[in-house]
Amino acid sequence: MTDVSITGLTKRFGPVTAVRDAGFTASPGVTGFLGPNGAGKTTVLRILLGLVRPTAGEALIDGVRYADLRHPRRVVGALLEATGFHPGRTARDHLTIAARLAALPVARVGQVLDDVGLAADAHRRVGGYSLGMRQRLGLAAALLGDPQVLILDEPANGLDPAGMAWLRGLLRDLADQGRTVIVSSHVLAEVAQTVDRVVVLHAGTVRFAGTLDELAGPGTGGLETAFLRLTSEPRLEGSRP
Amino acid sequence: MTALLGAELLRLRTTRGVWLLLAVAQLLIVVGVSGVMRSRDDVGSPEVQQAAIAHVGLISLFTLVLGIMAMAGEYRHRTITDTYLTVPRRTPVVVAKLVVHTVAGLLFGAVTALVAVAAAAIWLTGRGSSLDVGSTDLWLTVAGGVAWNAAFAAIGVGVGALITNQIGAIAASLAWLALVEGLVARLVGDAQHWLPFALGSALNRLPTATDGPPQWQAGLALAGYAVAFVVAGVATTVRRDIT
Repeated sequence: MTDVSITGLTKRFGPVTAVRDAGFTASPGVTGFLGPNGAGKTTVLRILLGLVRPTAGEALIDGVRYADLRHPRRVVGALLEATGFHPGRTARDHLTIAARLAALPVARVGQVLDDVGLAADAHRRVGGYSLGMRQRLGLAAALLGDPQVLILDEPANGLDPAGMAWLRGLLRDLADQGRTVIVSSHVLAEVAQTVDRVVVLHAGTVRFAGTLDELAGPGTGGLETAFLRLTSEPRLEGSRP
Repeated sequence: MTALLGAELLRLRTTRGVWLLLAVAQLLIVVGVSGVMRSRDDVGSPEVQQAAIAHVGLISLFTLVLGIMAMAGEYRHRTITDTYLTVPRRTPVVVAKLVVHTVAGLLFGAVTALVAVAAAAIWLTGRGSSLDVGSTDLWLTVAGGVAWNAAFAAIGVGVGALITNQIGAIAASLAWLALVEGLVARLVGDAQHWLPFALGSALNRLPTATDGPPQWQAGLALAGYAVAFVVAGVATTVRRDIT
């Protein structure tokens, strides 16, 4: 059981406030992290992962800041963007470097390549990969440490329909194994089939945090209606849901 | 730290860039040595042989670029995100790169020195002369040239940590060596001997470095530059948000 908790999180980039007093918790299962483009989703996730310093507030994994985790890759796996690869390096080399850096057994590299269906292409240079293959490689890197928490930023980007179905199955498997999975997305249809809970972010503030049924259960008009209602309201200064 | 060093070494080995730089450097050193050996009549003199071999030190331009690519290349390809996810405390990442690339620069210089000595020996044999292997000055020049390669690799890591834009960092460094240092030198009087390229020249005992500090002081001063750049990079750029 590993929980993620975010409280009073604020991030200002110069004059722009990207995240404003945001807070939510995520427990085992799949949490959909929704919001229109520019809502601040990526910033929240990057603060959670210690890549961006918050202006105020904190983001904790099992009560600990990411930077204070002793073996971060064994606790948290992250997929942030499908661009973090050296084009001249093979997928296997990319993962072997990550495994070496994280002091993980190199045998994990073959396992995760199998898990994401890249074993046959592992010896190819990443420069020749499609976007979907890069997403799979990013997922393989996230799974490398067999972590209890997975943070996936728009993992469905670039996946074809078969890839989407595969990703849904993977997310369900991970959740069934008792892991805490946070998936950001702006593709609502994708989310409706996969997630247990939903956090809706808009203009840097959390507009909703609860179960999918509470947001879009029977008689509510569906997820899209609820999403558009939550993300079209004028900004409420300093408000919290 | 062992894991960091191992990963860094693997990172260095698994791209083509480093091997390409090494290959081109060997081509250039042969050209450099051959130029002296072909144009001079007194190839038997120790000074001429030393001048030919001293080209080893100039190859430090390549190790400088290699060092810059170690840090700035990670920002360019955004692999830095994954690196900092694994090692959230960032300073050890830079230190590991510094260690691995200083050693890599040393090896790079050593390979180049070997090729330079071999090329000189072949030329000299062809011209009925021989390399003055008993000359201490010759071997001090070789050692200085190798050390210059190591020092510039270390400085490169520091520059890359400070200027994470790879193209910008390489352009700024090469501009400094090709143009800016020469202009600054005229402004600062005797301090000109303590600018990076002048120090490298002194370390390498280049014919052009006549009024510079002794070899060991030049080496120490270059190490000081490397440390200063790394510290400046760690204190500023490396701490910044990765967005």
